[in-house]
Amino acid sequence: MRSLLKRTLSVTAALAMVASAAIAQSGATVSGRVTSSTGAPIAGASVFISGMNIGTQTGDDGRYTFTVGAARVTGQPATLTARVIGYTAQNTLITLTSGATITHDFVLAVNPLKLGEVVVTGAGTSTTRERLATTINTVDSSVITRSANPQNMVSALAGAAPNVEIRTQSGDPGSSASIKIRGASSLSGTNQPLFVVDGQPIDNSTEATSPDGVANAALSSTVTQNRAADINPNDIESIEILKGSAASAIYGARASNGVVMITTKRGRSGPTKYSVTSTNTFDNVQTNIPLQRTYGQGSHGAPPTPGCGVASASCTSLSWGPLLPAGTKTYDHEGEIFDTGLTSDNNLSLSGGNDRTTFYVSGGLTSQNGVVVGPNNKYNRASIRLKGTQQVSSELNIGGNISYIDSRGRYIEKGSTTSGLLLGALRTPPDYNNVPYLDPVSGVPVSYRFPHATTAAARDSRGYDNPFFTLNNPANRSELGRSISNVNADWNPLSWLEVKYTLGGDYYSDWRLQATPLTGSTEPDGQVIRNDFNNLEIDHNLLVTAKKSFSDNLDGTFTVGQNLNSRRVREVYILGLTLNAPQPYSLNNTIGFTPFENRSLAHVEAYFGQAEFDAYNQFYLTLGLRNDGFSTFGASNRRANYPKASLAWNFTNALGITDQKGMLSYGKLRLAYGETGKEPPIYAAVDALGAGATFSSGFGDALNVNQSGQGGLTTDLQKGNPSLKPERQKESEVGLDLGFFDQKADLGMTYYSKKSTDVIIAVPQNAASTGSQTAFLNGAAVTNKGFEAALNVRPYTTKDLSWDFGIQFAKNKGRVLNLLGAEFVPYNVEGFNGSIGSSTVGYAPGVIRGSDFVRCGRGLTLEDGRDVDALCGNAPKGALFIDSDGLPVDDPTDRVIADPNPKWTMSYTTSISFATSFRLSALVDMRHGGQVWDGTRGALYRFGTHAATLVRAGTGTFGKDFYTDIYPIVAGPGAGQVAFSSISDWQSWFTSQGGSAGTTQQQFVESGSFAKLRELSLTYTVPPQLVKNFVGFSSADIRIAGRNLHTWTNYKGLDPESNLAGAESLTQGIDFFNNPQTRSFVLSVSLNR
Amino acid sequence: MKSYLKGLLTVTLLGSAVACGNFLTAGETSTDPNRPVVAGTPQYFVGVQSNIWASYTGDMSRVTGMWAQHFTGVLQQYGATNLYQINEQTTNGAEVQLFLGGGLVDARKEQASAIAANDTLFLGIAQVQEAMLMGLAADVFGNITYTHALKNEVNPPLDPQLAVYDSLQVLLSKAIVNMGASSSSNVGPGDADLVYGGDAASWIALAHTLKARFYMHTAEARGGPAYASALTEAQLGITGSRGADYTTNFSGNPGEQNMWYQFDVVQRAGYLTPGHFLDSLMAARGDPRRSDYFALAGAPPAATDISDARLAPKYNNAIVSAVENLLIWAEAAQRGGNNALGLTQLNAARALTGRSTPLVGLTGNALLTEILTEKYISDFQLGVEAWKDYKRTCFPNLTPTVSGGAIPGRWFYDAGERQTNTNIPAAGTGINGYRTESDPQNATADGVGGACKAGA
Repeated sequence: MRSLLKRTLSVTAALAMVASAAIAQSGATVSGRVTSSTGAPIAGASVFISGMNIGTQTGDDGRYTFTVGAARVTGQPATLTARVIGYTAQNTLITLTSGATITHDFVLAVNPLKLGEVVVTGAGTSTTRERLATTINTVDSSVITRSANPQNMVSALAGAAPNVEIRTQSGDPGSSASIKIRGASSLSGTNQPLFVVDGQPIDNSTEATSPDGVANAALSSTVTQNRAADINPNDIESIEILKGSAASAIYGARASNGVVMITTKRGRSGPTKYSVTSTNTFDNVQTNIPLQRTYGQGSHGAPPTPGCGVASASCTSLSWGPLLPAGTKTYDHEGEIFDTGLTSDNNLSLSGGNDRTTFYVSGGLTSQNGVVVGPNNKYNRASIRLKGTQQVSSELNIGGNISYIDSRGRYIEKGSTTSGLLLGALRTPPDYNNVPYLDPVSGVPVSYRFPHATTAAARDSRGYDNPFFTLNNPANRSELGRSISNVNADWNPLSWLEVKYTLGGDYYSDWRLQATPLTGSTEPDGQVIRNDFNNLEIDHNLLVTAKKSFSDNLDGTFTVGQNLNSRRVREVYILGLTLNAPQPYSLNNTIGFTPFENRSLAHVEAYFGQAEFDAYNQFYLTLGLRNDGFSTFGASNRRANYPKASLAWNFTNALGITDQKGMLSYGKLRLAYGETGKEPPIYAAVDALGAGATFSSGFGDALNVNQSGQGGLTTDLQKGNPSLKPERQKESEVGLDLGFFDQKADLGMTYYSKKSTDVIIAVPQNAASTGSQTAFLNGAAVTNKGFEAALNVRPYTTKDLSWDFGIQFAKNKGRVLNLLGAEFVPYNVEGFNGSIGSSTVGYAPGVIRGSDFVRCGRGLTLEDGRDVDALCGNAPKGALFIDSDGLPVDDPTDRVIADPNPKWTMSYTTSISFATSFRLSALVDMRHGGQVWDGTRGALYRFGTHAATLVRAGTGTFGKDFYTDIYPIVAGPGAGQVAFSSISDWQSWFTSQGGSAGTTQQQFVESGSFAKLRELSLTYTVPPQLVKNFVGFSSADIRIAGRNLHTWTNYKGLDPESNLAGAESLTQGIDFFNNPQTRSFVLSVSLNR
Repeated sequence: MKSYLKGLLTVTLLGSAVACGNFLTAGETSTDPNRPVVAGTPQYFVGVQSNIWASYTGDMSRVTGMWAQHFTGVLQQYGATNLYQINEQTTNGAEVQLFLGGGLVDARKEQASAIAANDTLFLGIAQVQEAMLMGLAADVFGNITYTHALKNEVNPPLDPQLAVYDSLQVLLSKAIVNMGASSSSNVGPGDADLVYGGDAASWIALAHTLKARFYMHTAEARGGPAYASALTEAQLGITGSRGADYTTNFSGNPGEQNMWYQFDVVQRAGYLTPGHFLDSLMAARGDPRRSDYFALAGAPPAATDISDARLAPKYNNAIVSAVENLLIWAEAAQRGGNNALGLTQLNAARALTGRSTPLVGLTGNALLTEILTEKYISDFQLGVEAWKDYKRTCFPNLTPTVSGGAIPGRWFYDAGERQTNTNIPAAGTGINGYRTESDPQNATADGVGGACKAGA
């Protein structure tokens, strides 16, 4: 009652004020300049009057000016604040009198730790960095635009934050990037984090063009984009990465892989700003797979059968032919398919506003033409965004944020397909010219296995497609339209109460075409695949925050919220088999059809609460709880709770060091605990029959369940589990943030330990006992423990010269603790025969399984009963066993052969600014460990095109002069015996157990360690007076840069970062004729006003 | 204050209103819109039928045919398989396909559905389908989980291979009785049966031939009685004049195409070439089927590939045929001492394959050799039978492709099956080794030749 009275009084007072303001005739003008302590002007600083929502931004000369409307000037005192990232904000008291011109200059102290900066903490909540007790890495826009791959905002995060592991599928335009935060903890589905844009969750799936939309198709088709890459990176103001469960618990059962929160740019009141940026990037590749050019096509030293190539693919596929006579023309099959790619990226933005309205408008156009020769290696993205806010009253602010994206790709087949680019190119014998891929007489496609094709062979396979046929084939396309938009309201009915509401929608329609032309080796009769994805996600988020000061030393902030989320997935896939006429690639032009449809609807209903306490200006305690209800959980486990708690202690404040000066200028200790979850796959709780099953035998040959119009139904391979519940992840972390020498250096360290339980796995079922292949069950357990450290040093900061550098180090060790009693769970759809991804107890998730040769010390018995260890004598454990024929012996045991997870990662950044206008920066990114299965090498050994097969000229003995790098020690009855003494011997070896066709894939596992010079750039800021005189803009930046300039690695394939299977795959580190990553040179011009 | 509370309440209620009681369960949030939950007997029948076709004419048939040297594997995985380099990964998927959807689990659902409808014809046919699935499993993998199958037992025990064949004999006998019973509620699969159109007599003949085939598979271990039983059944089996061959029946549309076409033409051209041994044997004998089997090019004639006719999308491979039945009949009779009957049935089989001039005067080992040779040749693209006969008889006396090696006697179980059942040992050991119960030695001399050769 008392407060009501108070409120009434204040309303009366307000009315009185309005009345008195009406009498005043003119407003007040506030102006001045903002500079740093070195005297340099600070551009882009916000200067505003707190509580009135009036303000502006400084120009490039650091000057600001704004007017307060006459109606709001009553001679009252007001707080004028200047704030900009990287400096300590400053307040001053001014008096707003009618007609007055108030001048105030600010000199801001550098605050490199950005302690006062607002950090978005999820679901509408925010705090300041100083109060933060969890690990949230903030990546600002300049890091993204300078990154090695700025077109995809996920790729752009490479090296940006410790334990945020980025893998870009390849250098192809439109290729996906995966992000893994603090290791993998899920063993099914995806390990990708939740993406949130301006408070609204969005879709970041990576869907291969295939009926089931899962990763296996990514092994053998084109790249496909991860959908977060639709966001124009130029619209991004900052990205916050919520790493630990304590940080991400506010997103409950969608947060166990972390959360990436993107905040887009917004307008600020003040003069309208224009910005035009144009960036041109020239890309090329390092083609470093050594190929031999000494021996020609053929087998056992003999040329191909005379007259071969009249019938389909009848010439030998091998390059185990004769020594090529001197002067024989040979071809660079690797280099000839690549040229220089060009990416041009143009962006225009306008922003501004007044004391009641702000707006931001942008348009971006990115056009990527990839490094593969020809017109079909492209990705274009056009995007527009309009973001605005309107202050309806002093209490209510309404905003809208509308974006539309159009992205289009033309892709080239890669990987494990006979129509793949590198597969066809690198297998070609050195003496065959791929370039005239059409027969000059008949005009039909030819290949090295079918060099004399005639028009009669219009529907015959070419064995492997000629790479120039592949790259000229315009049949793989994606066209996507997407809108990510929301409306929001911010209502402050009382000084201590705030209500925030966001209603957002993310809708896209992705049109896909993947066609094989006639003679295409994967389907010589031609086929057309059409695949449409139509996804809609609607999110409603309501948040009420109350603030209360309990005493001078204790403040509290209390938040309650509600979240409703609906995700609709609609996919239609139609396979049209057999082209009627050669063109067009349309379903109308095919003869038979196989359709597939998948649609789903998932709902989330969640409530959450959070309390934050700020005591004695040094203890910051946060407690929170989210209660999640998911439609995807089993009926008996529909709801679950996710608590969190964190405490930060600023102990330098306790020591009285509040000015951030001195040797120890800042210190904060952090403790945090949180729980998050992960939802089960859609409909995994439902037991049903499978429609459209096929019966295959592993080589692509398969029968449909329906035959000749008779419909069949079969029991689904996967058993439904109505009691499925979310995975639960519990994570504790402890951290220390320190500042030294007046904040000239800072060091942050975090140790975390997380344990995921009830992890959902597709548990293999004994088919004979249950009639099911798998069942999704809760119960596996995974731990990830790690350490992160970041050191930033700013040795010089003067007006003319400043230098800083930073080192980030991260280590994560993942371990599968149990798999409900199983020793391992193979990911049958991920990998190749003999190199299959898996979860294996005792190893990190995603290790690759396969077989090895018989080794000493493993307690093995040969098929004929001989005891290997006895035959090995005193040889050390792991020595390669050589049987009496001088050759190793296959060990059929399936075991872990590779761990693609890095042991540690590190990055080094530095930047030097000098003569006020120049800035030089560099980023080196390192990964240690993380093995790769180099299947490309295994295949090229087999085909005899790899330079290593030049050993055929001599003899070979294991342990002596052959493979001594991978098998330094050999033992057994045949140790030291010559194994290969003729081309035929070598061919027999490489085409069977010594190559990819053999069962022993361990021999192609290599270290994927690397160091990359990701970025080296020089920016020149043209002095304002010069710009004004010439072009009328107020400032200009010119930047030249190189990206991925150099890679230091022992990896023998194209690139250790290769990730054939793409973003959604749990198995990384598989390379099989994947397209390479690119190296780029950048020229960028940016004009601002 | 009141108005603010009211406003707050309104906004909150607005949110809650959306989250009405069934927000998490309504419509397609909890009902899978993509998959049906109920099926009728004919739908299960068609599923099992497709699986039988795929399993009998797919990878198991090709690889065993390669090991019987009807083919040579030359490229990629088949190059390794030709040299007996197999592991659990190589053979993954084949075993479980016989149990999973379209396999035993649905053959049983089909039977339950037929029983519910009191349709003994359909029940019997479903039992024959079950025997075809499990017979192939025993042929290729040896000991399998059968009497304990589908009981949701943890670590179900495996039945010895010979016991599986015994169980299948019992099952087929029941099937024959069921199919022979007449009832007004008998409907059977009708048009869903793309081979026999639901004809009881054809299915009964098929059941008898299957019985004969499975008896033969036990003959090395059991000798004379097995041959005698095979003889009895073959007399009631498919002969051409009684009962037709059980073959695939493809429309030629996508997903409904000859598996050999799909493999050899579409997916993996060049992986397999004709086996030199078979080709030479047929050339030496002047066998007229040679040009039916193979594409022949150049002179002297050399097979370059499987013939275009047999690689047509609509070509239908025999899975159980009159020729096989007649040759079982001939061999079983001969082994029981009835040379005359043996020769008669051999000539009947020859007549069915285009050679009307009867052979005369053959007896004893000469007759047996001729019968076995004829069977080896006629099992083309029915690799499992050629390979099973080789393991039983060491005939023809093939030279293994690997120096010192032997032709493998079985496939490895799925790694997944081994991992989920402690009764299955690691690949290459024990019952998961290279031999099965029905080929205990693989080195015993048969009446017609020496012991199986080791690789030269």
